[in-house]
Amino acid sequence: MPKVVSIHSYRGGTGKSNFTANLATTVARQGFRVGVVDTDLPSPGIHNIFDLDLEKAPKTLNSYLWGEAPIEAAAYDVTAAAGVTGQGTLLLVPSSVKPDDIARVLKTGYDVKLLNDGFRQLVKGLELDYLFIDTHPGLSKETFLSIAISHVLVLILRPDKQDYQGTAVTMDVARQLNVRKLLLAINKAYSSLNQEVLKQKVEEAYGAPVAGIFPLSEEVVQLASEGVFCTRFPDHSISREFMKVASQIMEG
Amino acid sequence: MGNGEFSSLASSIQAVASPFRQYLQDLHGKYGAVNEGAVADYIPELALADPNWFGICVVTTGGQVFEVGDCDKLFTIQSISKAFVYGLALEDHGRDYVNSKVSVEPTGEAFNAIVLDEATNRPYNPMVNAGAIATADLIKGDSATDRLKRLLAMFKRYTGRDHDVNVPVFLSEKATGFRNRAMAYLMLNFGMVTERIDETLDLYFQQCSIMVNGKDLAMMAATLANGGVNPVTGERALDERYVQDVVSVMLTCGMYDYSGEWVYRVGMAAKSGVGGGITAVVPGRLGIGTFSPPLDAKGNSYRGIKVCEDLSRDFGLHLFNVARAEHVLEDWLQGSGADGW
Repeated sequence: MPKVVSIHSYRGGTGKSNFTANLATTVARQGFRVGVVDTDLPSPGIHNIFDLDLEKAPKTLNSYLWGEAPIEAAAYDVTAAAGVTGQGTLLLVPSSVKPDDIARVLKTGYDVKLLNDGFRQLVKGLELDYLFIDTHPGLSKETFLSIAISHVLVLILRPDKQDYQGTAVTMDVARQLNVRKLLLAINKAYSSLNQEVLKQKVEEAYGAPVAGIFPLSEEVVQLASEGVFCTRFPDHSISREFMKVASQIMEG
Repeated sequence: MGNGEFSSLASSIQAVASPFRQYLQDLHGKYGAVNEGAVADYIPELALADPNWFGICVVTTGGQVFEVGDCDKLFTIQSISKAFVYGLALEDHGRDYVNSKVSVEPTGEAFNAIVLDEATNRPYNPMVNAGAIATADLIKGDSATDRLKRLLAMFKRYTGRDHDVNVPVFLSEKATGFRNRAMAYLMLNFGMVTERIDETLDLYFQQCSIMVNGKDLAMMAATLANGGVNPVTGERALDERYVQDVVSVMLTCGMYDYSGEWVYRVGMAAKSGVGGGITAVVPGRLGIGTFSPPLDAKGNSYRGIKVCEDLSRDFGLHLFNVARAEHVLEDWLQGSGADGW
């Protein structure tokens, strides 16, 4: 059965898109058909990491939501761009970066039912094994929907007070929406922090497992938004950490 | 957590993502592709309907709302109004008096037949035109305006929103309703309606021209299924004592001269209208509203009937069903969005 995985963070700047791209790529490298949807309509960005030129990609998630195209027509094959070799396939549905399109989303919104139907159509039409949803930060109807339909919800947080509190709110929402499996990922952890202690403290505070801890890394920052880290540096400790999170998503 | 606004948003999102809505979505795809039946054209305004319009809405007695397709598209309620106006007449006069003016026997005749019970001169039931005109005559009010306002207020209690009369449709119905006028005068001749006949006919044509959408029809049915209380607003729309009266005549007479076959196949109390709407009640559980303008030969929405047949069969919603259904409704309603991929 296909699995839907939502990646969310309560606040912006947690490295959510980078995390989603790396995680989806890691899963695709195991030989699966993986789709990624950028539902961050007000501030899209994940297409940059997959090096997709939106000038050459006329159809987007927006086109689908406005009834201009079926959602499959907005899915682009980024397998090679992500550096995935072998059996796996990686498909991306980007959101439009045109100011007019973003303004239209902000002004008129869209029917959240369509998003649900689109996800299902995408999984069915493209025969996906996994669908990753890159969400807009904060809580909105779209986030609620993504959480409600997910088999796995990954919440990314940084070790600071604002993230801690916001994550607690999101956890309450996720539990109310009966999410099946909830994983936490800590990003931008200072190297001075004791990782085991940090993991233990966060797990205790939220009552959910920490699937991975990612250090604040200059290497990632340098490469940020340009190519997928885990295929460029497959043996790096960060890539291994992504593998750890990926196996927790794939199990069960 | 647990405050009202949050729970209500969470519940609406769960309804969007639920396996039951997915089921309705599949049903919509299955019958949306079928082009059977013809749009009503006895008045030009109705002929303007797009045969592709198609909405399915289900509202549970717990207040969950499941919508697929054109559920916000407005259309005229037509004969569906008859069941609800009958409820108001019962509230205005009580059962005995209303029964003395309108019987509750199915006719097997067409909805516009000019026929009265020979022994009592009563029209056969409140769902045929003659019975509906006699019922409209019973609606209390100081003036024509007052009576119409009482009807509109009643529909608001059922749906939770304001309603208007479509004036072009009303005027067309009025200009072409010779048969209805003839029936009214026949009943006047037998003393079954009062002398304010033109006012009552106007009220009848107006009640048929009230604008509703598929969601309204589901909400109205869910209100009856919920004992007369709107499950979302909590407002009472109909005196508890008369819910069974209204639901009974819907069951036996609601689908024109298809009513017998309808009860046999689908087994729900329902009322259809030539505008393309059907409202169907599953007491204690849910209300269904469908909207699709093409009608079959009996004047019922072709796709609407198919949708109700499937829902009845797959979830065991037939009134007299005791067999185990393929799907357990409660599981599908409450299931998580992660099910059924």
